[in-house]
Amino acid sequence: MGMTPRQFEARYEPAWQELEHALAALDRGRSRRRKTGPFPTGGVPVTGAARIAQLYRQCCEHLALARERAYPVHLVARLEVLTADAHQRIYRRHDFGLAALRDLLLRRVPVAVRALRWHLLVAALVFVLPALVVGVATWVAPQFALTVVDAGAIRNFDKMYGPEAGEHLGRTSADDWKMFGFYVMHNVGIAFQCFAAGITLGVGSLVMLAYNGLLLGAVAGLLVTRGDSERFFSFVITHSAFELTAIVLAGATGLKLGHALLAPGRRTRTQALLRAARETSPVVTGFFVMLLIAAMLEAFWSSSAWIAPGVKYGVGAACWLLVLAYLGLQGRGAAPRDGGR
Amino acid sequence: MLDTTLQAETPEGIDILLRPAGAVPRVLAYGIDWIIRVVAFSVVMIALGSVGAARGLGLALGFLVYFGLEWLYPIVFELLPGAATPGKRALGLQVMMDSGLPVTPAAAVTRNLLRAADFLPMLFGFGVLSMLLRADFKRIGDIAAGTLVVHKDHVRLAGALPEAQPMAPRVPLTRAQQVAILRLAGRARRLTPERVDELAALAEGVLPPPDFAPGGSAPPPIRPGPRLLAVAQWLAGQR
Repeated sequence: MGMTPRQFEARYEPAWQELEHALAALDRGRSRRRKTGPFPTGGVPVTGAARIAQLYRQCCEHLALARERAYPVHLVARLEVLTADAHQRIYRRHDFGLAALRDLLLRRVPVAVRALRWHLLVAALVFVLPALVVGVATWVAPQFALTVVDAGAIRNFDKMYGPEAGEHLGRTSADDWKMFGFYVMHNVGIAFQCFAAGITLGVGSLVMLAYNGLLLGAVAGLLVTRGDSERFFSFVITHSAFELTAIVLAGATGLKLGHALLAPGRRTRTQALLRAARETSPVVTGFFVMLLIAAMLEAFWSSSAWIAPGVKYGVGAACWLLVLAYLGLQGRGAAPRDGGR
Repeated sequence: MLDTTLQAETPEGIDILLRPAGAVPRVLAYGIDWIIRVVAFSVVMIALGSVGAARGLGLALGFLVYFGLEWLYPIVFELLPGAATPGKRALGLQVMMDSGLPVTPAAAVTRNLLRAADFLPMLFGFGVLSMLLRADFKRIGDIAAGTLVVHKDHVRLAGALPEAQPMAPRVPLTRAQQVAILRLAGRARRLTPERVDELAALAEGVLPPPDFAPGGSAPPPIRPGPRLLAVAQWLAGQR
């Protein structure tokens, strides 16, 4: 005759209570944010943390026994609650610090981008080719732009980059901050939509890339034919290094999601999608940061008419080189950080 | 069994029961979050307007606040302790990985960015459809991130066994019979005594007969319910 449920409960009750009290103490300690050992334990001394882990393993064993021996439901339920609570505390994230962020930006983002090289190539072509075609077509026959953009939008662009645009390229410096906010919201919104549209087997991402390419080509072609090319190119060259790259990156992540759904290989579609999302998540962080940088440049640097176009071209070229070198070269051969997720 | 619980195995080799939250509480939670966001945005805009910063810097702040409320609000709240936006918190919901672990930053970002996909074709059509079709109530963002929205509180359907004078069953019981009797006894407090009697009558064949009183002890109760509780106490080790 084995142990009866009552004996079981009487024998292990002290351990369960100790674990319950320790977990409650852990929650109180967490709010104090005190660190007392080589790893954060939420204010509990390291010996205490080790004790919690020990008690947790014991309770897991008790739960397995109680289930196997079909002990009364309330006993099993109590152990289930206790182990589930302890599990959440013990396996919670420990580092969210600067080391992880540094590793993310200096290694994982460029490595993840290079892992996407074929999707990047497709995304870049789908974005650049329509832009070139429409740009050249508009240059040859300016009215062609009207097939892509409506007349009102063209008037707006004229006002921003045309000859009557003054010191600040069509806006005052009080507007700089406003435009920064607008660029962040607008561009990041577009990029996130490019990413999320990948769920439609990639079609949505392709459409969005091509459409944004068309717009860009039409505007650029139009302004070149009007003789505003210096004004326009000196405006866009710096921030476009970050912004256009980010749009292409967003499109590539969307294509990766769509690709995973379309051709999951030896996985189920769900597993393939999960894996694609996990692999591309550093890229998402990357294009988000790049769009923030682009918005800052666009609002405060690109729009300043007092900077000579030559300086802007130089800085812009440097930014392009910087971005391409970062994505192409950074983080090669660097060892993965221990425990980095 | 028609049940919505999921099991997640831990490295210690035990299963943790998770209770995924269905479409209704999640839509309600979204509604609460939406109201909070609208109110927060209105307050900021009114405050900016009242200090006369309606143009330039003020509008910039407005855009940034809008952006933060739209994309960062859920991410930040789901990464704080508690792992829930205020709306989810109000309904007792929590976000976690479908392995039962706390939600990771990457997963929180993924599931919230893919809200844009759930929103398609309009008003979260795909998201709600996905929740209604799946047994674990995941929307598209949850599927891609491997996350789960669960009810935080544990349900206790069974309480402690009601007190009773222990009595041995009439015959030795199989394991399945022991389990059935212990489970019914655990739920006895949530049932009317009449219903307990009805259910206990099914086990009449193994319960001690009402006229059985060995060695001058008090005779067992007439009704089958209390006799079943007495047997449950005996099985739990009260001898």
